[in-house]
Amino acid sequence: MPFNCKPQKFSASIKAVDLGTGDKKVTLGGESVFPFYSFDGSEGNGAKVGVEISDMGLDHEPEAVKAYYAGCETMADIAKKAEAMEGADFVCLRLEGGDPNGADKSIEELVAVAKEVADAITAPLVVEGCKNVEKDGQLLPKVAEALQGKNVLLLSAKEEDYKAIGAAAGLAYDQKVGAESAVDINLAKQLNVVITQLGVKPESVVMNVGTAAVGYGYDYVISTMDRIKAAALSQDDKMLQMPIITPIASETWAVKESMATEEDAPEWGNLDARGVSMEVQTAAASLVSGSDAVILKHPQSVATIAKMIKELI
Amino acid sequence: MAKFVTIGERIHCISPAIREAFATMNPEPILKRAKEQLDAGATYLDVNIGPAENNGEELMKWAVTLIQENFDNVPLALDTANKKAIEAGISVYNRSKGKPIVNSADAGGRIENIDLAAANDAIVIALCSAEGIAADNDERMMHCQNMLERGMMLGMEPTDLWFDPLFLVVKGMQDKQMQVLEAIKMFSDMGLNSTGGLSNNSNGMPKAIRPIMDSALVAMAMMQGLTSAIVNPCDLRLMETIKSCDIFKSNTLYADSYLEL
Repeated sequence: MPFNCKPQKFSASIKAVDLGTGDKKVTLGGESVFPFYSFDGSEGNGAKVGVEISDMGLDHEPEAVKAYYAGCETMADIAKKAEAMEGADFVCLRLEGGDPNGADKSIEELVAVAKEVADAITAPLVVEGCKNVEKDGQLLPKVAEALQGKNVLLLSAKEEDYKAIGAAAGLAYDQKVGAESAVDINLAKQLNVVITQLGVKPESVVMNVGTAAVGYGYDYVISTMDRIKAAALSQDDKMLQMPIITPIASETWAVKESMATEEDAPEWGNLDARGVSMEVQTAAASLVSGSDAVILKHPQSVATIAKMIKELI
Repeated sequence: MAKFVTIGERIHCISPAIREAFATMNPEPILKRAKEQLDAGATYLDVNIGPAENNGEELMKWAVTLIQENFDNVPLALDTANKKAIEAGISVYNRSKGKPIVNSADAGGRIENIDLAAANDAIVIALCSAEGIAADNDERMMHCQNMLERGMMLGMEPTDLWFDPLFLVVKGMQDKQMQVLEAIKMFSDMGLNSTGGLSNNSNGMPKAIRPIMDSALVAMAMMQGLTSAIVNPCDLRLMETIKSCDIFKSNTLYADSYLEL
């Protein structure tokens, strides 16, 4: 009996969200099929890859990352080099120096960094806060204001601070809002509901539904993303049709597999290769589970994942 | 499973205001009731223009266009004994939000409405009765089979026939209620869709009691696999019950604001 391919057609689709402006603008989402099910229908705009940089510069970066940025003096230099990375679609600036328990940089200082980076590049920009809810609630609205007209994505509005960040980014300054939940499908939906109830357009919202490095409870991430995409497409759930962005590097470079030195763990082999491996595996798993964009930092990981996406769609 | 489909019943010429609006082609009362029902969460709206023997075609076209143009092509159930009026309504119907529903066919004198639905790629509500109420579920399922076969012979998808077990009034037919619920389970086990005028059960009861009875019945019927009902969506208790049952059945994903969606 001949094989008859019967495509799984959905009448729903993931919303297409534009980031950036001009020629280098990227669109996240737009697909009406499960990840990489190009045999079923439109993959939309295809998954995108971002390159993470930090306001803390390069001091704490892995050696290979430092080597890639060798010669960069300023944040503008680093940003330019990041957008030129092979496979990069956008740049993600993490303002981790804002953490009150860390460098505790002032909001003015951080906004200035964001502006320097935004002005240096033509690729779309994602700005991530310092993860401290109180500080981010003040910092991200200021960043949204300072970068008006650049169409940036702000990560993230959480349950605790979605009003301040959602209203500033999504309403007042016409940027894109990242809605962050931590591997909690019901909260992911609820955040989209309350953010859109503020008046933010659904086409201005991108979800970060949480992640982990592979091997660190990652199976919950898979089932969360699977269920979100299934509800979005098969149940036409409008409150789950926002594209998903997943910061990968910040997770995978903080686990022992990527950090333990070769002296401490000789049986694990080359340190750089381990780090790339963790980053690539986590990114690939996120993409096949439903991420519309991943954020990485090692040049080899960015090139590898960009190639994987290109060859699969 | 897909979300439970509510068909709003309040554009019905049994209401004096609506009858008058159809008689004079006055948009206002119709648009008002359409808006109320959609705001309350109705998926489909039923448009009952009555027997409409004289100007049915013109009237149905007018009503379909009026409602769809004002409410983003909301999907409609076309409800009249006048077949030509239903066809006329479908000829101007916009399908972008869902196929039209022909309301309704039965296994007796109105069986040709299945042919009408098949010829127009529409959904049809198929009442499992012929001449009078089915005596038992053997008879109900016989009607169901007959109508299903007829639709499929004409090329319809089985899921485009929405079987109506005929909800019965509790006052007078209390002993038949479980039969109706069992029929829904049989439709569901066959993979078929189902619907019906659920509030029929509480006819003649005090006004304050009706939402309670309707809500209890919809919960039991959804448990049995009912996929749709023709209801008054402005009944808040009923709509909250339906939304909550959709959560238990995983037809929708839970979020704290689920009642507001």
